[in-house]
Amino acid sequence: MNRFANRLRNSLASKVIVSTVLLSLAVVWLTGSALYSQLSDGVREVNLESSLAEARSSFFNAQYQFLLIEGEKSSVITKAVQEVIISSTEISLNQDRKSIFLNRFGTPFRFSLNIESPDYSTTTDGLDISSFPEELREKVRSSDLVEYQYSKMQYKDRKDANVLIAGRKIEIPKSGKYEMYLVYSLNNQNRTLTIIKNALLLTGFALLFLIGLITWLVVRQVVKPVREAATIAQKFTQGDFSQRMRVESSDEIATLGTAFNEMALSLESQISRLENLSRVQQRFVSDVSHELRTPLTTLRMASEVIYSQKDSFDPTITRSSELLVAQLDRFERLLEDLLEVSRFDAEVAVLEPVDFELIGLIERCIEDVRASAHDHVISITIDHETENVMIKADIRRVERIMRNLLSNAFDHAEEKPIHITVVSTRTEVAVGVRDFGTGIEFSALSRIFDRFWRADPSRARVRGGTGLGLSIALEDARLHNGELDAWGEPGQGAHFVLTLPRIAGEQIGGRPIRPQPEDYPQNL
Amino acid sequence: MTLVMVVDDDQDLAEMLGIVLTGAGIDVDLVSRGDEVLDVFRNNPPDLVLLDVMLPGLDGIEVCKLIRAESMVPIVMLSAKGDTNDIVKGLEAGADDYIVKPFRHPSELIARIRTRLRRTNADVMGLLTIGDLSIDVTAHEVSRGGRKIALTRLEFDLLVALAKEPGRVFTRDALLGEVWGYRHSTDTRLVNVHVQRLRSKVEHDPEHPEIIMTVRGVGYKAGVMGGS
Repeated sequence: MNRFANRLRNSLASKVIVSTVLLSLAVVWLTGSALYSQLSDGVREVNLESSLAEARSSFFNAQYQFLLIEGEKSSVITKAVQEVIISSTEISLNQDRKSIFLNRFGTPFRFSLNIESPDYSTTTDGLDISSFPEELREKVRSSDLVEYQYSKMQYKDRKDANVLIAGRKIEIPKSGKYEMYLVYSLNNQNRTLTIIKNALLLTGFALLFLIGLITWLVVRQVVKPVREAATIAQKFTQGDFSQRMRVESSDEIATLGTAFNEMALSLESQISRLENLSRVQQRFVSDVSHELRTPLTTLRMASEVIYSQKDSFDPTITRSSELLVAQLDRFERLLEDLLEVSRFDAEVAVLEPVDFELIGLIERCIEDVRASAHDHVISITIDHETENVMIKADIRRVERIMRNLLSNAFDHAEEKPIHITVVSTRTEVAVGVRDFGTGIEFSALSRIFDRFWRADPSRARVRGGTGLGLSIALEDARLHNGELDAWGEPGQGAHFVLTLPRIAGEQIGGRPIRPQPEDYPQNL
Repeated sequence: MTLVMVVDDDQDLAEMLGIVLTGAGIDVDLVSRGDEVLDVFRNNPPDLVLLDVMLPGLDGIEVCKLIRAESMVPIVMLSAKGDTNDIVKGLEAGADDYIVKPFRHPSELIARIRTRLRRTNADVMGLLTIGDLSIDVTAHEVSRGGRKIALTRLEFDLLVALAKEPGRVFTRDALLGEVWGYRHSTDTRLVNVHVQRLRSKVEHDPEHPEIIMTVRGVGYKAGVMGGS
């Protein structure tokens, strides 16, 4: 039932068909019942008239017969009564059953042995006298005309039946006044009416079915293009703008199709214009980065040649050459990061997963970062449950993430120790990098992964990071379907948690390490 | 004196490369157009070619293929394009090494050039076999059943590095250090591409290698010799 209701809600065709069929049902019902009542009235009337005519002739015949034998012997009269009974109950064509009830006035119905005035009261067919309507009998007794009434008759040996009773006063010689009733069974009439009713019902249902079918055919014509439009619109959502609706006629549906296609065309051109713009933009960034590389290479080599001779210069030139080399380094890193960012923007960054061991990689990264920071004061502990953590990921990117997180921690650790945690589950692996240095304001947490964003703009750039490191790290993590979370509290340090699927590209099910560190009061 | 042919259209960079290489005791032949390379190469065969990718006249990749068609001389590509696609394209054209501009230190460039020029595996002499391959280290020849297989010097070095210790698993990093002279790098694309190239030359079925086997998650090893 629920499914049906759902379908009704979701499908225009079902909705239209159901409402059409329901409305037609009402109309068919009304016309059908009107037709039926007219037909049945007619049938009843015809039946009544023919039955009454026959009854009249039967009564007349009986009266006539009895008149003829006025003054005859009892045996003749008895015979005549019997003949009358037989002739009156003769069944004519298209009659079902006819019974007679004869009752002498005044006496309750019983056999009398009085020979002088014999009682000819009788009934045929096992009629139950008690079910005779008293009302009718009153009327018959007090009237000289043929009286009739529809009634329900009980029989001694059969089922009750609806009947038409016609009655009249009759006089039998030497016996007295009688009520004579002819009881016409209405079975035939009822059967006719049933046939009519069935025929009407059948026609009604056939009509309903046909109306439903026609509605379906018509609705389909309208709904099909709508469905087509919906399917195409769905494809648009998926980024396929090449689809168009077929326009084959010039009706309203065709107008819809044309309008839809025009919208599609306009959308497509808009989007391709935007795509083009952004492609040009990204191409430009990428080209600039590439074009800068050749002169930078020359510069680097030149600076190295100068730097290698620095001992033979005077101190200002020596220092200048040192600065030159350092700044070229920084410039190169910036260029490298910019190029990487442009790859992410152009969505051409590709994942190249290989199997490797994570702990070893992290240890190597620690060594490198420590060496390049020329800082051996800060102690780093690494905490892992298992000796080896094998993962399948892009080793270059994971290394870059780790370097970025580590140098970030170094920059802000204020010479306090750095703590690294590695937790691996069946489906994912998490690396937490915790420092206890300056920390991060809550309001800054949401912006910490923004490009070129600095927690404190007035703070000097101690290590000369590019300002793109964390943003690239986040993109790298997401490329693996992983996540990079940050937690921080001013003065309490920061906690960066990298979560990666064990196999790059699969989904991560949760966070084995929560960004909020366990050493920090949980309810704050 | 060793001779290195430097092919680069950027005059300043070429000059600078010349200064650095000369400073390291290497002779330099400068060429600035791709379509001039082959003539110079034939007239004065260098010991190593340092090749830029984007060149006027003829693309560096094409130049690389042309040189490879007639010589096994070490080729080091130098390019501003560092995407995997570009690197793989260069290596597949026959380059032994691929250096992305700007490289960190000139000394690194020199180190890598020297590694390519040096006879690596100088400690190994005589005849090695892996599987049904026989390697004559002294004569610098590889053959299977008497039939010679032509390998570049780098491919030969890679094969010998693996073959001299059959069964030992070499990580990609270790191979980078031993064969290419990298101090440290996690960029192992170089190794993967060259192993593929080498397999396509020495394996019966490169899809199911028997000479150079992959050790999942670690690196490569030479297949342990059969009964013979």
